[in-house]
Amino acid sequence: MLKSLRILPKVRDSWSFLYIDHCRVEQEAKAIAIYDQKGKTPVPCATLNLLMLGPGTSITHAAIRALAENGCMVAWTGEAGVRMYAHGLGETRDSRRLLKQAYLCAHDSLRLMVVRKMYEIRFSEPLEASLTLQQIRGKEGVRVRDAYARASKESGVPWTGRVYKQEDWGAADPINRALSAANSCLYGVCHAAIVAAGYSPALGFVHTGKMLSFVYDVADLYKVEMTIPIAFKIVAESPQDLESRVRHACRDAFHEHRLLARVVEDIDRLLAVDGASLQPGQSLLDLHDAMPGGLWDPESGNVSGGVNWSEPIPEG
Amino acid sequence: MVVFILEKVPASVRGELSRWLLELRPGVFVGKVSALVRDELWTFLIPKLKGGSAVLIYPTNNEQGFAFRSEGNPGRTLRDFEGLFLISIQ
Repeated sequence: MLKSLRILPKVRDSWSFLYIDHCRVEQEAKAIAIYDQKGKTPVPCATLNLLMLGPGTSITHAAIRALAENGCMVAWTGEAGVRMYAHGLGETRDSRRLLKQAYLCAHDSLRLMVVRKMYEIRFSEPLEASLTLQQIRGKEGVRVRDAYARASKESGVPWTGRVYKQEDWGAADPINRALSAANSCLYGVCHAAIVAAGYSPALGFVHTGKMLSFVYDVADLYKVEMTIPIAFKIVAESPQDLESRVRHACRDAFHEHRLLARVVEDIDRLLAVDGASLQPGQSLLDLHDAMPGGLWDPESGNVSGGVNWSEPIPEG
Repeated sequence: MVVFILEKVPASVRGELSRWLLELRPGVFVGKVSALVRDELWTFLIPKLKGGSAVLIYPTNNEQGFAFRSEGNPGRTLRDFEGLFLISIQ
Protein backbone atom coordinates (compact mmCIF):
# COMPACT_ATOMS: atom_id res chain seq x y z
CA MET A 1 0.00 0.00 0.00
CA LEU A 2 1.12 3.52 -0.70
CA LYS A 3 2.68 4.93 2.44
CA SER A 4 1.47 8.48 2.31
CA LEU A 5 -2.13 9.26 3.14
CA ARG A 6 -1.76 12.35 0.99
CA ILE A 7 -2.38 10.25 -2.06
CA LEU A 8 -5.87 9.29 -0.92
CA PRO A 9 -8.43 11.50 -2.58
CA LYS A 10 -10.30 13.92 -0.37
CA VAL A 11 -13.99 13.29 0.10
CA ARG A 12 -14.81 16.12 -2.28
CA ASP A 13 -12.88 14.50 -5.14
CA SER A 14 -14.38 11.05 -4.67
CA TRP A 15 -17.06 9.17 -6.50
CA SER A 16 -20.07 9.18 -4.20
CA PHE A 17 -21.13 5.52 -4.21
CA LEU A 18 -21.28 2.29 -6.15
CA TYR A 19 -24.21 -0.08 -5.68
CA ILE A 20 -23.81 -3.70 -6.77
CA ASP A 21 -25.78 -6.91 -6.31
CA HIS A 22 -25.59 -10.58 -7.30
CA CYS A 23 -21.84 -10.73 -7.73
CA ARG A 24 -18.65 -11.65 -5.94
CA VAL A 25 -16.11 -9.09 -4.75
CA GLU A 26 -12.47 -10.06 -4.50
CA GLN A 27 -9.14 -8.41 -4.12
CA GLU A 28 -7.59 -7.61 -7.49
CA ALA A 29 -4.00 -6.37 -7.54
CA LYS A 30 -4.05 -3.73 -4.76
CA ALA A 31 -7.66 -2.76 -5.33
CA ILE A 32 -10.84 -4.80 -5.71
CA ALA A 33 -12.80 -6.27 -8.59
CA ILE A 34 -16.40 -7.34 -9.11
CA TYR A 35 -16.95 -10.78 -10.65
CA ASP A 36 -20.22 -11.68 -12.36
CA GLN A 37 -21.51 -13.13 -15.65
CA LYS A 38 -20.14 -10.16 -17.56
CA GLY A 39 -16.62 -10.90 -16.37
CA LYS A 40 -14.29 -9.03 -14.06
CA THR A 41 -14.77 -5.34 -13.34
CA PRO A 42 -11.90 -3.69 -11.49
CA VAL A 43 -12.99 -0.89 -9.12
CA PRO A 44 -10.56 1.92 -8.20
CA CYS A 45 -11.59 1.78 -4.56
CA ALA A 46 -9.37 4.60 -3.26
CA THR A 47 -11.48 6.92 -5.41
CA LEU A 48 -14.71 5.52 -4.09
CA ASN A 49 -16.48 6.89 -1.02
CA LEU A 50 -19.00 4.11 -0.43
CA LEU A 51 -19.51 0.59 -1.74
CA MET A 52 -23.09 -0.62 -1.29
CA LEU A 53 -23.45 -4.39 -1.34
CA GLY A 54 -26.96 -5.42 -2.32
CA PRO A 55 -28.61 -8.85 -2.16
CA GLY A 56 -26.68 -11.79 -3.56
CA THR A 57 -23.20 -10.37 -3.03
CA SER A 58 -20.29 -12.07 -1.38
CA ILE A 59 -17.00 -10.48 -0.50
CA THR A 60 -13.65 -11.88 0.58
CA HIS A 61 -11.57 -11.03 3.62
CA ALA A 62 -8.80 -9.67 1.38
CA ALA A 63 -11.25 -7.39 -0.41
CA ILE A 64 -12.52 -5.94 2.86
CA ARG A 65 -8.93 -5.28 3.92
CA ALA A 66 -8.20 -3.52 0.62
CA LEU A 67 -11.34 -1.38 1.02
CA ALA A 68 -10.50 -0.48 4.61
CA GLU A 69 -6.93 0.44 3.71
CA ASN A 70 -8.25 2.77 1.05
CA GLY A 71 -10.79 4.39 3.37
CA CYS A 72 -13.75 3.13 1.37
CA MET A 73 -16.90 2.55 3.42
CA VAL A 74 -18.72 -0.71 2.94
CA ALA A 75 -22.47 -0.89 3.50
CA TRP A 76 -24.57 -4.01 3.30
CA THR A 77 -27.95 -3.00 2.00
CA GLY A 78 -30.99 -5.09 1.33
CA GLU A 79 -34.15 -4.72 -0.64
CA ALA A 80 -35.95 -4.85 2.68
CA GLY A 81 -34.23 -1.61 3.63
CA VAL A 82 -32.29 -3.37 6.34
CA ARG A 83 -28.84 -1.94 6.42
CA MET A 84 -25.71 -2.79 8.27
CA TYR A 85 -22.61 -0.74 7.99
CA ALA A 86 -18.98 -1.56 8.28
CA HIS A 87 -16.02 0.64 7.96
CA GLY A 88 -12.30 0.38 8.30
CA LEU A 89 -10.20 3.29 9.43
CA GLY A 90 -11.29 6.60 8.02
CA GLU A 91 -8.93 8.62 5.91
CA THR A 92 -7.41 10.54 8.77
CA ARG A 93 -5.12 9.39 11.58
CA ASP A 94 -5.80 12.51 13.58
CA SER A 95 -8.39 12.55 16.37
CA ARG A 96 -8.76 16.34 16.70
CA ARG A 97 -12.19 16.37 15.14
CA LEU A 98 -13.51 13.48 17.20
CA LEU A 99 -12.28 15.08 20.44
CA LYS A 100 -13.95 18.33 19.49
CA GLN A 101 -17.20 16.56 18.65
CA ALA A 102 -17.16 14.65 21.95
CA TYR A 103 -16.48 17.87 23.86
CA LEU A 104 -19.35 19.75 22.24
CA CYS A 105 -21.63 16.77 22.74
CA ALA A 106 -20.84 16.46 26.42
CA HIS A 107 -21.63 20.05 27.40
CA ASP A 108 -25.35 20.77 27.25
CA SER A 109 -25.03 24.48 26.49
CA LEU A 110 -22.57 23.89 23.64
CA ARG A 111 -24.65 21.01 22.36
CA LEU A 112 -27.71 23.23 22.23
CA MET A 113 -25.73 25.79 20.20
CA VAL A 114 -24.84 23.09 17.65
CA VAL A 115 -28.46 21.93 17.51
CA ARG A 116 -29.69 25.48 16.87
CA LYS A 117 -27.07 25.92 14.17
CA MET A 118 -28.14 22.66 12.52
CA TYR A 119 -31.71 23.94 12.37
CA GLU A 120 -30.62 27.41 11.26
CA ILE A 121 -28.94 25.98 8.17
CA ARG A 122 -32.30 24.63 7.03
CA PHE A 123 -34.25 27.87 7.17
CA SER A 124 -33.76 30.76 4.77
CA GLU A 125 -34.24 33.32 7.56
CA PRO A 126 -32.43 33.32 10.91
CA LEU A 127 -34.19 31.75 13.89
CA GLU A 128 -35.14 34.19 16.62
CA ALA A 129 -33.08 33.77 19.76
CA SER A 130 -36.24 33.66 21.88
CA LEU A 131 -37.49 30.45 20.24
CA THR A 132 -37.29 27.41 22.47
CA LEU A 133 -36.00 24.13 21.12
CA GLN A 134 -39.53 22.77 21.22
CA GLN A 135 -40.75 25.66 19.05
CA ILE A 136 -37.88 25.12 16.61
CA ARG A 137 -38.78 21.44 16.31
CA GLY A 138 -42.33 22.51 15.52
CA LYS A 139 -41.13 24.88 12.79
CA GLU A 140 -38.97 22.12 11.35
CA GLY A 141 -41.96 19.77 11.26
CA VAL A 142 -43.90 22.33 9.26
CA ARG A 143 -40.98 22.83 6.91
CA VAL A 144 -40.67 19.12 6.16
CA ARG A 145 -44.42 18.70 5.73
CA ASP A 146 -44.44 21.61 3.28
CA ALA A 147 -41.52 20.08 1.36
CA TYR A 148 -43.46 16.84 0.89
CA ALA A 149 -46.62 18.73 -0.09
CA ARG A 150 -44.71 20.89 -2.57
CA ALA A 151 -42.93 17.92 -4.16
CA SER A 152 -46.25 16.08 -4.37
CA LYS A 153 -47.91 19.04 -6.09
CA GLU A 154 -45.05 19.57 -8.54
CA SER A 155 -44.79 15.91 -9.52
CA GLY A 156 -48.46 14.96 -9.29
CA VAL A 157 -47.62 11.96 -7.09
CA PRO A 158 -50.19 11.70 -4.29
CA TRP A 159 -48.76 11.93 -0.77
CA THR A 160 -50.39 10.48 2.30
CA GLY A 161 -47.45 10.40 4.66
CA ARG A 162 -44.21 8.64 5.38
CA VAL A 163 -45.02 4.97 5.99
CA TYR A 164 -42.74 1.98 5.67
CA LYS A 165 -42.39 -1.38 7.27
CA GLN A 166 -38.84 -2.52 7.77
CA GLU A 167 -39.91 -6.16 7.55
CA ASP A 168 -41.88 -5.83 4.34
CA TRP A 169 -40.27 -3.72 1.65
CA GLY A 170 -42.84 -4.55 -1.03
CA ALA A 171 -45.76 -3.43 1.12
CA ALA A 172 -44.80 0.25 0.98
CA ASP A 173 -46.20 2.44 -1.79
CA PRO A 174 -43.78 3.44 -4.58
CA ILE A 175 -43.12 6.93 -3.26
CA ASN A 176 -42.21 5.62 0.19
CA ARG A 177 -39.94 3.01 -1.36
CA ALA A 178 -38.28 5.67 -3.51
CA LEU A 179 -37.74 7.88 -0.47
CA SER A 180 -36.19 4.99 1.45
CA ALA A 181 -33.84 4.14 -1.42
CA ALA A 182 -32.77 7.78 -1.84
CA ASN A 183 -32.27 8.31 1.90
CA SER A 184 -30.32 5.08 2.13
CA CYS A 185 -27.86 6.48 -0.43
CA LEU A 186 -27.70 9.82 1.36
CA TYR A 187 -27.08 8.19 4.76
CA GLY A 188 -24.31 6.04 3.29
CA VAL A 189 -22.56 8.96 1.63
CA CYS A 190 -22.84 11.15 4.76
CA HIS A 191 -21.66 8.27 6.95
CA ALA A 192 -18.62 7.73 4.72
CA ALA A 193 -17.77 11.45 4.80
CA ILE A 194 -18.16 11.59 8.60
CA VAL A 195 -15.80 8.64 9.07
CA ALA A 196 -13.33 9.87 6.44
CA ALA A 197 -13.04 13.23 8.17
CA GLY A 198 -12.47 11.57 11.53
CA TYR A 199 -15.80 12.22 13.29
CA SER A 200 -17.91 9.65 15.11
CA PRO A 201 -21.20 8.58 13.51
CA ALA A 202 -22.62 7.88 16.97
CA LEU A 203 -22.22 11.26 18.71
CA GLY A 204 -25.30 13.01 17.41
CA PHE A 205 -26.57 16.44 18.46
CA VAL A 206 -30.22 16.57 17.38
CA HIS A 207 -30.52 12.79 17.26
CA THR A 208 -29.36 10.67 20.11
CA GLY A 209 -29.10 7.10 21.27
CA LYS A 210 -28.20 5.32 18.02
CA MET A 211 -24.80 4.33 16.63
CA LEU A 212 -25.69 6.43 13.57
CA SER A 213 -27.21 9.45 15.35
CA PHE A 214 -24.72 11.90 13.84
CA VAL A 215 -25.34 10.43 10.37
CA TYR A 216 -29.05 11.24 10.75
CA ASP A 217 -28.17 14.76 11.92
CA VAL A 218 -26.02 15.43 8.88
CA ALA A 219 -28.29 13.74 6.33
CA ASP A 220 -31.26 15.78 7.56
CA LEU A 221 -29.50 18.92 6.34
CA TYR A 222 -29.85 17.75 2.75
CA LYS A 223 -33.09 15.75 2.49
CA VAL A 224 -35.41 18.60 1.52
CA GLU A 225 -32.94 19.86 -1.06
CA MET A 226 -31.92 16.52 -2.59
CA THR A 227 -33.69 13.26 -1.79
CA ILE A 228 -37.34 14.38 -1.43
CA PRO A 229 -37.59 16.06 -4.87
CA ILE A 230 -35.71 13.15 -6.49
CA ALA A 231 -38.02 10.50 -5.06
CA PHE A 232 -41.16 12.27 -6.24
CA LYS A 233 -39.73 13.03 -9.67
CA ILE A 234 -38.64 9.44 -10.30
CA VAL A 235 -41.95 7.96 -9.14
CA ALA A 236 -43.82 10.42 -11.36
CA GLU A 237 -41.81 9.28 -14.40
CA SER A 238 -42.52 5.55 -14.13
CA PRO A 239 -42.83 2.71 -11.60
CA GLN A 240 -40.33 0.54 -13.50
CA ASP A 241 -37.00 -0.33 -11.91
CA LEU A 242 -37.67 2.21 -9.19
CA GLU A 243 -34.80 1.79 -6.72
CA SER A 244 -32.13 1.66 -9.42
CA ARG A 245 -33.42 4.80 -11.12
CA VAL A 246 -33.59 6.57 -7.78
CA ARG A 247 -29.93 5.77 -7.11
CA HIS A 248 -29.00 6.97 -10.59
CA ALA A 249 -30.82 10.26 -9.95
CA CYS A 250 -29.16 10.55 -6.53
CA ARG A 251 -25.74 10.36 -8.15
CA ASP A 252 -26.62 13.23 -10.48
CA ALA A 253 -28.17 15.29 -7.68
CA PHE A 254 -25.23 14.75 -5.31
CA HIS A 255 -22.94 15.96 -8.08
CA GLU A 256 -25.15 18.90 -9.01
CA HIS A 257 -25.55 20.06 -5.40
CA ARG A 258 -21.85 19.42 -4.69
CA LEU A 259 -22.73 17.18 -1.75
CA LEU A 260 -19.27 15.62 -1.39
CA ALA A 261 -17.59 19.01 -1.45
CA ARG A 262 -20.04 20.47 1.07
CA VAL A 263 -20.57 17.77 3.63
CA VAL A 264 -17.21 17.89 5.46
CA GLU A 265 -17.15 21.68 5.19
CA ASP A 266 -20.66 21.92 6.63
CA ILE A 267 -19.83 19.66 9.57
CA ASP A 268 -16.65 21.62 10.34
CA ARG A 269 -18.67 24.83 10.26
CA LEU A 270 -21.41 23.41 12.49
CA LEU A 271 -18.92 22.29 15.09
CA ALA A 272 -17.18 25.66 15.22
CA VAL A 273 -19.86 27.07 17.55
CA ASP A 274 -17.41 27.99 20.29
CA GLY A 275 -15.35 30.04 17.84
CA ALA A 276 -12.60 27.45 17.52
CA SER A 277 -12.75 26.20 13.95
CA LEU A 278 -10.91 23.16 12.77
CA GLN A 279 -9.05 23.95 9.62
CA PRO A 280 -8.63 20.84 7.52
CA GLY A 281 -4.84 21.19 6.89
CA GLN A 282 -2.69 18.06 6.91
CA SER A 283 -1.50 17.19 10.39
CA LEU A 284 1.78 15.49 11.20
CA LEU A 285 -0.14 12.40 12.31
CA ASP A 286 -1.70 12.17 8.86
CA LEU A 287 1.63 12.39 7.09
CA HIS A 288 3.36 9.79 9.23
CA ASP A 289 1.08 6.84 9.78
CA ALA A 290 3.20 5.25 12.51
CA MET A 291 4.00 8.44 14.42
CA PRO A 292 2.93 8.19 18.08
CA GLY A 293 0.31 10.63 19.33
CA GLY A 294 0.58 12.68 22.54
CA LEU A 295 -0.25 11.80 26.14
CA TRP A 296 -2.97 13.75 27.92
CA ASP A 297 -1.96 15.90 30.84
CA PRO A 298 -4.55 17.99 32.71
CA GLU A 299 -2.00 20.52 33.90
CA SER A 300 0.70 21.14 31.34
CA GLY A 301 -1.39 20.42 28.26
CA ASN A 302 -0.50 17.32 26.25
CA VAL A 303 2.97 15.85 26.49
CA SER A 304 4.68 13.97 23.71
CA GLY A 305 4.12 10.25 23.35
CA GLY A 306 6.63 7.60 22.27
CA VAL A 307 8.90 8.70 25.11
CA ASN A 308 9.70 6.58 28.15
CA TRP A 309 8.85 8.95 30.99
CA SER A 310 10.71 6.86 33.58
CA GLU A 311 13.99 8.10 32.15
CA PRO A 312 15.46 11.19 33.80
CA ILE A 313 14.58 14.22 31.67
CA PRO A 314 17.76 15.64 30.16
CA GLU A 315 18.55 19.09 31.46
CA GLY A 316 18.75 22.19 29.30
CA MET B 1 -9.26 17.84 -24.25
CA VAL B 2 -10.01 14.57 -26.01
CA VAL B 3 -8.07 11.33 -26.14
CA PHE B 4 -8.56 8.61 -28.74
CA ILE B 5 -6.91 5.23 -28.31
CA LEU B 6 -6.85 3.01 -31.38
CA GLU B 7 -5.75 -0.58 -31.70
CA LYS B 8 -5.24 -2.56 -34.90
CA VAL B 9 -6.93 -0.07 -37.19
CA PRO B 10 -6.03 0.63 -40.84
CA ALA B 11 -3.29 3.23 -41.36
CA SER B 12 -5.71 5.50 -43.21
CA VAL B 13 -7.81 5.92 -40.08
CA ARG B 14 -4.78 7.00 -38.08
CA GLY B 15 -3.88 9.33 -40.91
CA GLU B 16 -7.29 10.92 -40.72
CA LEU B 17 -7.06 11.46 -36.96
CA SER B 18 -3.54 12.87 -37.22
CA ARG B 19 -4.96 15.79 -39.18
CA TRP B 20 -6.72 16.91 -36.01
CA LEU B 21 -4.81 15.39 -33.13
CA LEU B 22 -1.31 14.68 -31.88
CA GLU B 23 -0.18 11.05 -31.93
CA LEU B 24 1.76 10.78 -28.65
CA ARG B 25 2.38 7.03 -28.96
CA PRO B 26 1.30 4.67 -31.69
CA GLY B 27 -2.50 4.74 -31.63
CA VAL B 28 -2.80 7.31 -28.82
CA PHE B 29 -4.17 10.63 -30.03
CA VAL B 30 -4.71 13.72 -27.96
CA GLY B 31 -5.92 17.21 -28.70
CA LYS B 32 -8.45 19.92 -28.11
CA VAL B 33 -11.34 19.94 -30.52
CA SER B 34 -14.94 21.05 -30.22
CA ALA B 35 -17.63 18.59 -29.15
CA LEU B 36 -18.95 18.69 -32.71
CA VAL B 37 -15.61 17.74 -34.29
CA ARG B 38 -15.07 15.07 -31.62
CA ASP B 39 -18.41 13.46 -32.40
CA GLU B 40 -17.81 13.70 -36.14
CA LEU B 41 -14.43 12.00 -35.76
CA TRP B 42 -16.03 9.22 -33.70
CA THR B 43 -18.81 8.66 -36.25
CA PHE B 44 -16.19 8.59 -38.97
CA LEU B 45 -14.11 6.01 -37.10
CA ILE B 46 -16.73 3.41 -36.27
CA PRO B 47 -17.36 1.92 -39.74
CA LYS B 48 -13.64 1.94 -40.56
CA LEU B 49 -12.27 -0.08 -37.63
CA LYS B 50 -12.03 -3.35 -39.63
CA GLY B 51 -11.82 -5.55 -36.57
CA GLY B 52 -9.70 -3.10 -34.59
CA SER B 53 -10.88 -1.16 -31.58
CA ALA B 54 -11.25 2.44 -30.47
CA VAL B 55 -11.82 4.28 -27.21
CA LEU B 56 -12.71 7.93 -26.84
CA ILE B 57 -12.31 9.78 -23.52
CA TYR B 58 -13.33 13.37 -22.92
CA PRO B 59 -14.00 15.58 -19.90
CA THR B 60 -17.58 16.21 -18.92
CA ASN B 61 -19.47 17.64 -15.99
CA ASN B 62 -20.39 14.44 -14.19
CA GLU B 63 -19.21 12.88 -10.96
CA GLN B 64 -16.30 11.05 -12.57
CA GLY B 65 -15.25 14.15 -14.49
CA PHE B 66 -15.03 12.33 -17.79
CA ALA B 67 -17.05 10.20 -20.15
CA PHE B 68 -15.96 7.58 -22.57
CA ARG B 69 -17.08 5.61 -25.58
CA SER B 70 -15.77 2.28 -26.66
CA GLU B 71 -16.05 0.23 -29.84
CA GLY B 72 -14.52 -3.11 -30.79
CA ASN B 73 -12.52 -5.29 -28.37
CA PRO B 74 -15.31 -7.48 -26.93
CA GLY B 75 -12.91 -8.48 -24.12
CA ARG B 76 -13.39 -5.10 -22.49
CA THR B 77 -16.84 -3.64 -22.24
CA LEU B 78 -18.12 -0.41 -20.82
CA ARG B 79 -20.66 -0.88 -18.01
CA ASP B 80 -23.00 1.62 -16.48
CA PHE B 81 -23.51 1.09 -12.72
CA GLU B 82 -26.43 3.44 -12.19
CA GLY B 83 -24.47 6.35 -13.59
CA LEU B 84 -20.96 5.24 -12.61
CA PHE B 85 -18.99 3.90 -15.56
CA LEU B 86 -16.57 1.00 -15.12
CA ILE B 87 -14.87 -1.43 -17.50
CA SER B 88 -15.60 -5.15 -17.42
CA ILE B 89 -12.92 -7.55 -18.59
CA GLN B 90 -13.99 -10.91 -20.01
